[in-house]
Formats: sequence, C-alpha cells, structure tokens
Amino acid sequence: MLVHKPGDSTGVVITNIAVGEKVAGLVTENNTGFELEACSNIPLGHKIALKPVAAGEKIIIYGWSCGYASQPISAGEHVHVHNMKSARWR
Amino acid sequence: MAGLTFQGYRRENGKAAIRNHVTIIPVDGVSNAAAKNVSKIIHGAEALVHPFGELQFGRDLELFFQTMTGVGSNPNVAAAVVIGMEPDWTDKIAAGIAGTGKPVASFYIERAGDLAVIERAARKTKEFIHYASEIKPREINLAEIILGIKCSESDTTSGLGANPTVARVLERMLDWGATVMFGETSELTGAEHIIADRFKSLEEQEKFRQAYNEYTSFIENEHASLLGSQPSQGNIHGGLSTIEEKAFGNIQKLGNALIDGVLAPAEPPPDKGFWFMKTSSAAPEVLTLFAAAGATLQIVSTGQGNIVGCPVTPVIKLSANPLTVSTMSEHIDLNVSGLLTREITIEQAGDMLMDMVLRTAAGRLTSSEVLGHREFLPTKLFRSA
Repeated sequence: MLVHKPGDSTGVVITNIAVGEKVAGLVTENNTGFELEACSNIPLGHKIALKPVAAGEKIIIYGWSCGYASQPISAGEHVHVHNMKSARWR
Repeated sequence: MAGLTFQGYRRENGKAAIRNHVTIIPVDGVSNAAAKNVSKIIHGAEALVHPFGELQFGRDLELFFQTMTGVGSNPNVAAAVVIGMEPDWTDKIAAGIAGTGKPVASFYIERAGDLAVIERAARKTKEFIHYASEIKPREINLAEIILGIKCSESDTTSGLGANPTVARVLERMLDWGATVMFGETSELTGAEHIIADRFKSLEEQEKFRQAYNEYTSFIENEHASLLGSQPSQGNIHGGLSTIEEKAFGNIQKLGNALIDGVLAPAEPPPDKGFWFMKTSSAAPEVLTLFAAAGATLQIVSTGQGNIVGCPVTPVIKLSANPLTVSTMSEHIDLNVSGLLTREITIEQAGDMLMDMVLRTAAGRLTSSEVLGHREFLPTKLFRSA
C-alpha cells in the first residue's frame, strides 16, 4: 500500500487485498514503512483506512481534505463511495 | 539538455512542427460525406469530421470558427482543404488558415453537388500531399514544442504514478523555454485554491478565479450537480471516491510549476510558458481545444485507460496501473507501473517519458496514431439558433 503524506487518513493498495491480510505500507513522501491488517476485501487501487475516522470527520489525502466520512470507518477498512462523500458536491 | 533537438518541420510562419499532415476540414456536418470521400481517394489525407457548424451564433459561433481555423493553422498541418456548403463560412475558415502562409483551398457544395466537389477537392488534396511530401525536415529545438497535458480515466494510480511523471517532464520543458497548456476547469474542484496561488500575477490569478466561479455558476444555473459525472463511473471503479480526491490527483501532473496566465477555449498562448485553458474535462474536447490553440504534442496520463487520440497531434499515453498496462497494452506508450511497486523511481519515470517525448517528436508514431484514434470534438457552448 502507498500513502502520499504522513498524516493521511488512507493509503492505496497496489494489489487485491483480502480480509485479515497484513498489508505493508509505505509513505512515499518520506519512505517510512508500516504494517496494517485489512478488515475488508479491497481491490487494487482502492483505499484502506489507516486509522479510525468518525462519521462527519474529514478524510485527508495528499495532506488535504478530500471529503468526509459518511459513517464511522475503522482502521483497515475499505474507504470508498459507500463511506466517503465529497464536501463540495452533494 | 536544453540544446536537445530533433528532425521536424518548419512552417512558412516560422512555427515548428513534429508531424506533416494534409487535413480536410468540413465546415458543417453535411459536408462530412464529401470530406470523408476525398480522404478515401487520397492516401494520407485526413478528414476532420464533426457534427457542428450550422446555425451557431454569438460566442459559440466564434469558438467554432476559432477551433476550425486553429486546427487548420496547427503547425502539424502542412496544408488544408476546407469543404463547406456555401462560400462565406467556408472562405472565412480558409482565410484564417491562409494567414499562416500554408497552402489552403476551399470548395463549396451548393450549386455543384458532392460528386463534382469530391473530384475537385481530391485533385487539390493530391497536389497538397505531393507538396507536403517534399518538405525537408529541419533541426528543431525541443523547446519549440507546444505541449498539451491532460489526465483521463484517472484512478488512484494517476496521482501516485502517471501524473507525477508528467510533472517531471513539464518542469524540465518549461525550464528550457517550452510552452505547455493544461485545462479541465471542473476537475480542479477542491484544489482550485492551490492552483490560484500558482499564478505569477494577481491579474491572471483573478482571471482564473473568475473562470472557475463562472463554471460553478453555470452548473448552479442548470440546477444540476456534477455528482455522478465527476468523478466519472470509470474513476469510481478505479478507486477515486470524490471530486476533491480526483482534483488532488490531477494537479500532481502540474508539479510545482508557476502558471503564466488564463486562456479562453482554443486561444493560442501569447508567449512561451505555462498556461491554463478554460476547458471541459472530457478528453476529446480538451485535446481538440489544445490542438486548435497550436499544441503540436499532447500527453495523456491515464489510470483506467483512456484510449483517446487527436487527428493533428500525436498523443503519448502513459499509465501506472498494472491492470491497464497489461490488459490494454496496445493503447499505452509508456508503462510506469514500476512506480507503484517501487521498481523505478519518479526520476527514472520522468527520464523515460522525456525520452518518449523526444522519440515522438523525431517521428515515432504513438499508439493513438497507429490505432487510428483521431477523435475530433469541437466544444459547443450552447444550443444553436
């Protein structure tokens, strides 16, 4: 999984990930590695939550707000249109 | 590196070209048949068919003329044949193109019919093909390329791989004194403040803000939302969830380059440097507008795999999505999926794209050219009369 910036809420998985799989992560900006357990199946190119996000809280990607959580999200969960919404177009 | 050159073409008005097309331009939708028939008879001539050019008015008509004249004037076009129903609009487009000094001829279908026009236009097109085939290649500096950049069918791999690769190339080319255009007004939503801050002058920054707000009001006046269109269904399949996320991925292709100014749709950049053009985000429309503004080369970074091309410019396509580069490899000129697996660095990816730019300028045909992707789509601003 690749993460743009330290502090981002999500990373992008670069292979298909199954529930319970341990995913190796890398923050591209500073090349720091970490590991996280997936709690959803996540297809290649989709996002995984790096930490819990409360409903209504901003989701940070590229170091910037890219929308908000429309329901509570757990660390390791698939983040997409079912639980993430635009703050601009509704 | 700034002294990089390639064998290209020098037009009558001094502009540099990387292709040597003879182009047949129908003025209106009903002239497409004659234009297409000429292109069937004369090998190597391309007809730019489109459905517009009738009863347009006001700003929409001005943009139509600017697009048709602009595409014919594009340095990659060696000579142009214009075919329309009647002389006034046909000659207006032909005269605009003739201002570049290149050979142009016009033909009118009223009082002649398709068959007579096809014969006359085919004879003239044949002459132009002979003419173009004898233009001697000249040494051209890479900085004379006018580049259009666009991302399309984006996904999360675009922001991680293909777009930062494009940024490396445009930053280098701008340092060398090239001209680069980007657009996609709606696709900056969420990151528009960052783009606004990159304008070199407050005046152009204000023009950008106005352009962005004008687009937003247009959507509001339609009582519509771009939700469902931006991000597109393809973007969503690829993992992009919101317009903000798509916009931040999009602007990765701009690097840290400062922006010189704002262009109206199809407006040629007044000088070298980095220019924002007011465009839709639909690839064929954007590539057509950049070509009309004089772009001689275009780069499209893609995630899910847009297959688009342009009839007058090569389009280099690159992708970092491992599925796209394996399942649609024939459409992708440059595979940078190694960026995701960390097998290549962003600097290496930038070098690979720079090399592809040089090879394309020197004559390598792009996937879009070889596969016949020559989408031509003038932007229509509003309903006709």
